[in-house]
Amino acid sequence: MQTLELPYFSIKVKAGFPSPALDYMEEKLDLNDIFIKHPQSTFIVECIGDSMIGAFIPQGAKLIVDRSLTPNNGDIVLAVVNGEFTVKFLKKNDYKCFLVPANKKYREIEITDAMNMQVWGVVTTIMTETKDVRKCML
Amino acid sequence: MYALIDCNNFYCSCERVFNPKLEGKPVVVLSNNDGCVISRSEEAKLLGIKMGTPAFMFEDFFNKNNVAVYSSNYTLYGDLSDRVMKTLIEFVPRLEVYSIDEAFLDLHDLPYIDLLELALKIKMSVHKRIGIPVTIGIAPTKTLAKMANKFAKKKRKDVGCFWAANDKLIDEMMDSTEVGDIWGIGAQYAKILKKNGFQTALELRNAPEEWIRVNMTVVGQRLLNELRGVPSIEWEFIIPAKKNICCARGFGILIKTKHELSEALASYAANVGEKLRRQKSCAKTINIFVQTNPFRRDDKQYMRSMTTDLPVCTNNTAMLIKYALKVLDRIYLDGYNYHKCGFLALDLIPEDQVQYSIYDAVESPKEKTISKTLDKLNKVHGKDLIRYAAQGYGKKWKLKQARLSPCYTTRIDQILKVKN
Repeated sequence: MQTLELPYFSIKVKAGFPSPALDYMEEKLDLNDIFIKHPQSTFIVECIGDSMIGAFIPQGAKLIVDRSLTPNNGDIVLAVVNGEFTVKFLKKNDYKCFLVPANKKYREIEITDAMNMQVWGVVTTIMTETKDVRKCML
Repeated sequence: MYALIDCNNFYCSCERVFNPKLEGKPVVVLSNNDGCVISRSEEAKLLGIKMGTPAFMFEDFFNKNNVAVYSSNYTLYGDLSDRVMKTLIEFVPRLEVYSIDEAFLDLHDLPYIDLLELALKIKMSVHKRIGIPVTIGIAPTKTLAKMANKFAKKKRKDVGCFWAANDKLIDEMMDSTEVGDIWGIGAQYAKILKKNGFQTALELRNAPEEWIRVNMTVVGQRLLNELRGVPSIEWEFIIPAKKNICCARGFGILIKTKHELSEALASYAANVGEKLRRQKSCAKTINIFVQTNPFRRDDKQYMRSMTTDLPVCTNNTAMLIKYALKVLDRIYLDGYNYHKCGFLALDLIPEDQVQYSIYDAVESPKEKTISKTLDKLNKVHGKDLIRYAAQGYGKKWKLKQARLSPCYTTRIDQILKVKN
């Protein structure tokens, strides 16, 4: 993944005077360090559709997915159901397991023995522009 | 102990990571130009598809059997390979990347008593984190580790790991390994060995040392040591810089004009230039070749290659293109259907050891900056975004990659799209 450097602070340097801020310079912030804990097992995917807008995942949002994490009850997961990818909340107890959308228009999916369901990875971060978040607030 | 870890049907497995529908279905990946089969899923193997099967002859067979066919996507495979290797290094102190889908691991001085347990842990981790299935063979030498890996694939399929932990297991493994399947034994040696009564690795290991020394020289003795459990092959942690670099590909279509041929050649030269700069080498000599398609029996055949010294060692793309096209001028003949051309950079020397004479046109800092900027931009925004005009824009000759999967992990416009 490409490194994006964010300046910790920026200063204008006037000729002739050494910047007093130089002594306080620190490493620049790197979004990769903040949002990607396991780079080898992290992938970015794009969401199409509106079944998760209640979780602030609008159409076109990019999701950071970490395959190394073990999915827990309540996680947003990228699951594979009968060969198809889908992003949903994972709801599970000792007896049952559901994939739950965040939009009343859609129904939750109960995972039965007849289905082939696997969690591909756990969604750790939602990346979306703020203008798109409005679509989630209907 | 050494381990050899190998990704199962790597290219097919890479395609499956992002396309789970392919699970349990026959998948094949084709070589450059969609020529022939270079990777097969287990299901494809069961259908009887062989390595090297020419794709165009099996089009109907693929369709009939619902075989998923992919062009090779080395960008994707390269990235997933890198992730696998970086995952492996978390488990062991040292690792040697042997190929895109294989690595030797150093298992000495590890706190594990049961190495099979470690192998299973590694196997599960790679599968969970990246989605790639692997096979692991563990043994006292590199050669035996390679053999243990093959043995695991054949005889321990359900586990996918094999540790040749004691003499009994080593003997069992060697007894079921043909001499031709030993790492480092080519077809020629295999023939000689079999003629002399050595059928299996076990028989070879028990061969008289004298016989090996006479018939297989030093290489044979080293091999014998390895088979007897004495490590004799060094680690190669740093990949040695290549001594020559080549870019030669067949075209997606037949080319008749010099103009198109020169565009292809210029692009190959640019490709080599980029590789040279990456390994910080300069070329002293270049070789250019052009050829028609020998399989088109009705076509007039022509093949010509020419080598020339460059006035000064360089890795500057503009220079490489300039001299490549000069050579092309001399070897191109009108009236043929060209199928392939190639650019080879030979006699490579390290960038900082180039000697200039006082009359040489030394590469100016400005030209250096251009090359650097070019490489940087193309790395971020995709190959050939910025290119020399000689490379052209039409690219009719471009590689045939009709079934290329997206570059899921390296291009933001090609990441996996998930419907909700």
